[in-house]
Amino acid sequence: MVTTIDREAVLAEVGELADRDDLAAYRKARRRAHTRRLATGAAGLLVLVLIWQLVATLLADPVTLPSATQTAQTFVHYLGRPYPSQGDPLWIDALTSLRRILIGFAIGVMAGVVLGSAMSASRVVRHLIDPVIEVLRPLPPLAFIPLFIIWFGIGELPKEVLIVIGVTPIMAVTTVAALDEVPEDLRLCARTLGASRFYTLARVQIRAALPGILTGMRISMAGAWTSIVAAELIAATSGLGYLIMQAGDYLNTALVFSGILSIAILGLVLDACLRGLLLLADPSRRG
Amino acid sequence: MAAQADAAAASPAASPASAGPHQNGASGAEVVIDSVGKTFRRGGRRTVALAGASLEVRAGELICLLGPSGCGKSTLLRIVAGALAPDQGAVTVGGQAVAGPAPERGMLFQTPMLFPWLTTRKNILFGPKAQRSAGLNERDDPELDDEADAILSTVGLAGFGDAYPHELSGGMRHRAAFARAIITRPSLLLMDEPFGALDAITRLRMHDFLLGMWARYRTTIIFVTHDLEEAVLLGDRVAVMGGRPPGIREVIDIPLGRPRHAADTDTESFLAAKRTIRSALTW
Repeated sequence: MVTTIDREAVLAEVGELADRDDLAAYRKARRRAHTRRLATGAAGLLVLVLIWQLVATLLADPVTLPSATQTAQTFVHYLGRPYPSQGDPLWIDALTSLRRILIGFAIGVMAGVVLGSAMSASRVVRHLIDPVIEVLRPLPPLAFIPLFIIWFGIGELPKEVLIVIGVTPIMAVTTVAALDEVPEDLRLCARTLGASRFYTLARVQIRAALPGILTGMRISMAGAWTSIVAAELIAATSGLGYLIMQAGDYLNTALVFSGILSIAILGLVLDACLRGLLLLADPSRRG
Repeated sequence: MAAQADAAAASPAASPASAGPHQNGASGAEVVIDSVGKTFRRGGRRTVALAGASLEVRAGELICLLGPSGCGKSTLLRIVAGALAPDQGAVTVGGQAVAGPAPERGMLFQTPMLFPWLTTRKNILFGPKAQRSAGLNERDDPELDDEADAILSTVGLAGFGDAYPHELSGGMRHRAAFARAIITRPSLLLMDEPFGALDAITRLRMHDFLLGMWARYRTTIIFVTHDLEEAVLLGDRVAVMGGRPPGIREVIDIPLGRPRHAADTDTESFLAAKRTIRSALTW
């Protein structure tokens, strides 16, 4: 919705049907619209924090709802200091969760892209793997946690496998869709310009599918956070999920919020990295 | 460069891809389509897309294939391009049998098919660079950049070399696609309803653009369309297609002088030519 409105604003300013007489002016108009959108988004977040602060002040019960400022203080306090019930400071737990995510995510993305490419290239492979994915995909990865504890214990391996299980089917499906969406004529076009089959595959078909694959990575990254935090809540002795659980047990609500805040920040940062790659890969999304 | 230009001028049709300045370079190739047929099979059902199509296109000619949807005109164009293999018959371009897509036979589509991740300049240089990586030429980057600059200003896109396709208007995208196809010096351009999706006014401009470019590059053009007026305005001849099984019904000369302009569509002689073609469409 938001993009549609902004696009219209841009078009009204520049005029889609007319030939552009000035590329710089066109880009400036698009950048202006982009800045406006960012400013509006930031204002939305600010309003949320203000409402939180107001409600917390009126309630005056930090166990039920610590204020935004109390949460910020707790966050800063425990960032570098270990909290009483467990030996590690917040940043170590954050790093632990991040490492699990990145390992599982990297393996899952690679497996999914390879699988998806094979499915797109070969009808037999597609018909073979499609039902497997259709069965696996709707299953919540969390259902596997007890199984993985039996199989792999409560170390790092079950958490990473859990993320791989969640990421791989999503990446396979989005990779197939992205490759299928590349128009046949785009490949023919490259061939009529003198590109070899291999050059067309690498520089056109895979390149054209890249934005779709990166979008799939953004979707599966969100899922990976859900899985890892749930796994850490249930069966872990480290990580942000474990921290949140511990803080909850001790009714340290501000620390619970701090853990949630850490997840939000890390999630935003990772998504921003992927978004940055997406903007690099697809110029039409810029501005 | 001078030696190359001489070589190109000496045997333009025989070596259309050889290097040489555009102005003297690759003129059009002759195309011979000899009783070409194509049947598609899907799920046990056979659909005859084209049967017994024969056509001789003169070197440097602009010929239109006119007909309704499903008349086999796009199938024929793709067979000439080398994207589809015919079941019967054969096609030669400049005396050479067609086997697979090649840069001597450039193609333009209904949508411009620009690569959205490349700037206009890099889109235009896609062909030369792809051919360089295949060892088909050894032109260095500065040389290619100069050529891209020249062709950008020829198609009226000077100053838009760094624009991405989504930043261009519809007409500009088609001009960029034309530049990308012509830079590989094709002796034949295959155009598959290239302006079909444009608004009427932009389309008129593109007609004038194409006529101007064709006068400049003298390449043979096979232009597929379902628009009667477009066919009459552009073509030296119009091949009317259709029927069951689909094929070429009639090839009609357009007795209009050159150069032509989009504004000529009001003249008496234009209307007469249009009438002739229309009567050929109701077989």
